[in-house]
Amino acid sequence: MLGEFDLEIPDSIEEALELLAADDAPAPLAGGTNMLVDMRAGGTRPERVVSLARLEGVRWIAERDGRIAVGGGTTVSDLLQDERIAEHGASLVGAARVFAGQMVRNTATVAGNVAYGSPAADLVPPLMALDAGVTLMSKSASRTVPLADYFTGYRQTVRKPDELIAEISWPKRGAGMADLFYKLARRKGDAITVTGVAVSLALAGGKCAGVRIALGAVAPVVMRARKAEAMLDGQAPDAALIEAAARQAAQECDPIDDVRASAEYRRHTVHMLVRRLVGQAVEHLR
Amino acid sequence: MAREKTLTLKINGRRETATLPSHRTLLEALRGMGHVEVKSGCEKGDCGACAVLVDGAAVDSCLTLAWTVEGRAITTVAGLGDADSPHPLQQAFADTGAAQCGYCTPGLIVAAQSMLNDNPDPDEDDIRLALGGNLCRCTGYTKVFEAVGQAAMAMKARGGDS
Amino acid sequence: MTQQSPANVEFRQVGKALTRTDAPGKTTGRTPYAGDYAMPGMLHAKVLRAPAASARLKRIDASKARALEGVACVLTGPDLPDRLAPTDIPGQTGQKRMDTGQPILVRDRVRYFGEPLALIAAETRDIAEKAMELIDYELEPVPGVYDPEAALRPGAPIVQGKDNVVASQKMRKGDIGKGFAAADLIVESTYTSQFIEHAFLEPEVGLAWVDENEVINIRVATQVIEHFRGIADAIGVPHNKVRIRGAMVGGGFGGKEDVTVETYLAVLAKHTMRPVRLEFTREDSFLGHGKRHPFRMTYKTGVKKDGTITALEVRMLADAGAYVFLSPYVLLYAAVAAPGPYRVDNLFVDGKAVATNNMFTSAFRGFGGAQACIAYEQQMDEVAAALGMDRIEFRRRNYLKTGEMLATGVPIQSAVWTEECVDRAMAALGAPSEAPHPAARIGRGVAAYQQSYGRITWLHDTSECWVGVEVDGTVVVRSGVTDIGAGQISALGQIAAELLGVGLDDVVIYNSDSAVTPLAGTTTATRALYMTGNACRMAAATLRERLVERAAASFGVAPGDVDMAGNRAFVIGRPDTSMPFVDLVKLCAADGVHRSELAIFRAPFTDPIDPETGQGQVHPDYTYGAHAVEVAVDIETGEVTVLKSIGAHDVGQAINPAAVEGQIEGGAAQGQGYALSEEMLYEEGRLVTPSFSEYLMPTSMDMPLVQSIILESRSGLGPFGAKGIGEPSLTPVAPAIANAVADAIGTRVFELPITPERVVNAIGEKQGVQT
Repeated sequence: MLGEFDLEIPDSIEEALELLAADDAPAPLAGGTNMLVDMRAGGTRPERVVSLARLEGVRWIAERDGRIAVGGGTTVSDLLQDERIAEHGASLVGAARVFAGQMVRNTATVAGNVAYGSPAADLVPPLMALDAGVTLMSKSASRTVPLADYFTGYRQTVRKPDELIAEISWPKRGAGMADLFYKLARRKGDAITVTGVAVSLALAGGKCAGVRIALGAVAPVVMRARKAEAMLDGQAPDAALIEAAARQAAQECDPIDDVRASAEYRRHTVHMLVRRLVGQAVEHLR
Repeated sequence: MAREKTLTLKINGRRETATLPSHRTLLEALRGMGHVEVKSGCEKGDCGACAVLVDGAAVDSCLTLAWTVEGRAITTVAGLGDADSPHPLQQAFADTGAAQCGYCTPGLIVAAQSMLNDNPDPDEDDIRLALGGNLCRCTGYTKVFEAVGQAAMAMKARGGDS
Repeated sequence: MTQQSPANVEFRQVGKALTRTDAPGKTTGRTPYAGDYAMPGMLHAKVLRAPAASARLKRIDASKARALEGVACVLTGPDLPDRLAPTDIPGQTGQKRMDTGQPILVRDRVRYFGEPLALIAAETRDIAEKAMELIDYELEPVPGVYDPEAALRPGAPIVQGKDNVVASQKMRKGDIGKGFAAADLIVESTYTSQFIEHAFLEPEVGLAWVDENEVINIRVATQVIEHFRGIADAIGVPHNKVRIRGAMVGGGFGGKEDVTVETYLAVLAKHTMRPVRLEFTREDSFLGHGKRHPFRMTYKTGVKKDGTITALEVRMLADAGAYVFLSPYVLLYAAVAAPGPYRVDNLFVDGKAVATNNMFTSAFRGFGGAQACIAYEQQMDEVAAALGMDRIEFRRRNYLKTGEMLATGVPIQSAVWTEECVDRAMAALGAPSEAPHPAARIGRGVAAYQQSYGRITWLHDTSECWVGVEVDGTVVVRSGVTDIGAGQISALGQIAAELLGVGLDDVVIYNSDSAVTPLAGTTTATRALYMTGNACRMAAATLRERLVERAAASFGVAPGDVDMAGNRAFVIGRPDTSMPFVDLVKLCAADGVHRSELAIFRAPFTDPIDPETGQGQVHPDYTYGAHAVEVAVDIETGEVTVLKSIGAHDVGQAINPAAVEGQIEGGAAQGQGYALSEEMLYEEGRLVTPSFSEYLMPTSMDMPLVQSIILESRSGLGPFGAKGIGEPSLTPVAPAIANAVADAIGTRVFELPITPERVVNAIGEKQGVQT
């Protein structure tokens, strides 16, 4: 059972931000599919909780200023129902499909998946590879942070206690761009990720451009394999180069052993999956 | 502030009042109010046995705080139909033998209905995806897929008549 | 999905895929499970569990918890009489049980992680949980042992007995030395299997109260209502003062075979004299019942070049965990199953079950036979490969055939259709699938098996069933049998309906009450249909005789000329000479004809086998069949996808083919989890996979559509020639998958589960490349 706590259920984001600005820093609760589990297990015992479940006007998907944006209350299921997401974030749709089960997808929010800060968060690698930005809002201010800079350590983020994620957005898919995601887990449905790899790149004049490789569950935070990206950027991707970049990505990550897999295996699969996804993206674009 | 309040929940089309503490999950609240057709399997969103519809979308009632669904339309498997007038999903689950021990069945039927609300014409992949959060230890899912497919056809045929 | 053969033309109810009697209630949510009952003034209970696997309880103080408002009762070890928890095989036989020696609550020694320290009953669940945190206790660590091989070493910490060996089992047949001497080739390998959790969706739950006759009533989710005797002994009351009332059970698979919440509920209800409800959380459930035994099995097979097996030497080591429970019986099953459905003239089996400070292990669908199959069917593939012989052909040359002797030296009672089952399953795989991507390799595997149905024959198993007709022509069946989801009671309805010529809708079945339904024994050991189905058939047949005799008198014909069907009695060949069934029943009632019958069915009774040779009868009979699969293995990531999964089993006679398919499909899923993804992991005895987030059984995204091929030899010992299918359907699945993976990657993973990481490592070892 859950322990006791004070619960407030504001209707508007303004009201929610007002509550979060209080000195005792109440815990915001979005879909709750991670946090309630933690609370039941006694991992976290907030005295005061602000539920975001009934906020109005926060569950939306928009296309504006050359970007796709989703509101803080947009659920994972919403991603699967929207053609704009399908067109400008195929990798994100792929991640949403393998995200937990239907009931959790119907409740969990995109923002919550980011805010929770788990290195195994399924939506984060594709969003990071899509170069997403996170707009944080507090009672008095608003700021946008690149998702790649959002995580500061295991379950640590730049979000301040009085801030909420108001929206997450990323550039629309440019010409000649492809984005792919693969979740490796111990089973196909509803499982925690062992290794997640997202790749986004463009092919211009036969050369790679805008390469972004994001790796999940192989470091304290979801991370970009920047050295591997740099090896590919501006180069004509042949099999040898892709292999070298994939090896580099495996070098860059920093996995641990846990009940799901060893660090060594995770590193191996980063190598295999980066090679596969970059190869598939290039092949797709050629 | 108070950690307990009296709220009105709309369950299977009826308004019911209960006094509940803030930490009470919808699963605990529903079972406490006699809606024991909602089953508890893990209390952490892994198994789907406690699934109910909230405004037509299936959620794990174990991961939903009761206070947050005040006024929303909550539907359990018993709200979909009964023995005299079974819902097409209930009929198909019974006809095909998709219910064995039956403990996961309410959640499976609710999850299937949630999918059919959005997608009345699912293929096998759609059905698999929609039921991925409902663990079943008895059936191996084969008859469950068959039942959901049958029910979808029956519902389409019925919809076509009206 | 099914292929079935042949048509059941002469049956009217049996052999048809009728909608089960329990289906409407379950699909509409009307069926009450044990956890759905409540009583006025009911208390809520919790179990406090030890957070250590090997320790001494230095002190326990519940005074703060007892002082908490709303706490009705806290019980600790010293508060209870010094009696043992009931842990052994239940039955009607009065046979001496194998002592497990576990107290109801820890008195001194904690032997496994999660062993119960205290029981709490409070006005609400919230208060019970708070009270749990207020119990003060001190545990002093004691060196433990967590591996059965380590537990056998001299100087190992002693968990049970004098040397941790809780059971040994031998099988000796022929001359093993001569057998190996005659071999052209000898293959030896070691296969291991893991701890497996039953993962029934309904956690253990019950509600107990003391009634006006001082009888402790316990409404509980159980496979075995006849634990009432052991519970009564444990709490020190006469057997007739404990009544177990079952309910539809939300899955069992052997995990609700041992006592779970009953004893705790009994002592709490007796102590408080108030109704008490205890529901395990999933975490409690994972810690609260025994697991499937991990086995380490070394197989050494001698063969001639023509494929004849000349010798088989098997060594088995099972982790019994901290207490004995059903380990001796599981080990026995494994030893008897060791040679599989093959002719082995020179056989040597040595098995041991060894205590450790891991979770105790006990019954699980397949009961040792499944573990043995994992070894013998992988070994068959390995031997075939070593011989350069097709693996089906190699099996074909060694199958036991109808009429032959079992390895235990007794004749097989029924038809052996192993060959037909293997061939049909393999044929149904059809054309090989295309590899779904460049790194995927397709592989195929099959496994055959021999799995018993019915309990060990020296337990002298019996089952009772009562069948009666009401004056309006409806039928009542009463039997203590528990229904754990396989359609146990609906099958009784079909059998009664068949014999009485009525429809299944005309039958109501009352079951699983230890005080008022005739005792039927356990729903375990694939025995419910065999035993209670036979009892039901006997009772209904006797009743039918009386009804037919009365009808014959009315029609003025001999009883042999009368049949009953479609709710009518009629003269065979003269359908116009007939009367409605209801009229016949009324006639019987008016004449005082006895309109009900209580029957008892007795399985074969034998003496125990020779402990030195394992020779003698162990089980009433066996089911034979096979499972075939096709997999795709990603050789880069090691992921395995099961593409096709086909079970072909001779079930003797399907009473309800849809229910049989349900067993085969469900067995396919459990076997797939066993092969690929499921494992209860313990580190120094501590469970590190405490929930469904870590313990991964197949989901709808993982399972292929399972195909069932039902063969019907009508040769079984069950009603209408039925055999059992509950356990057999699971047994061959994991080894079939293991063989398919080996076929795909050209090397073998010898340890279950076959995780992606193990696949990658095996490929790496084969290539001699460090991955």
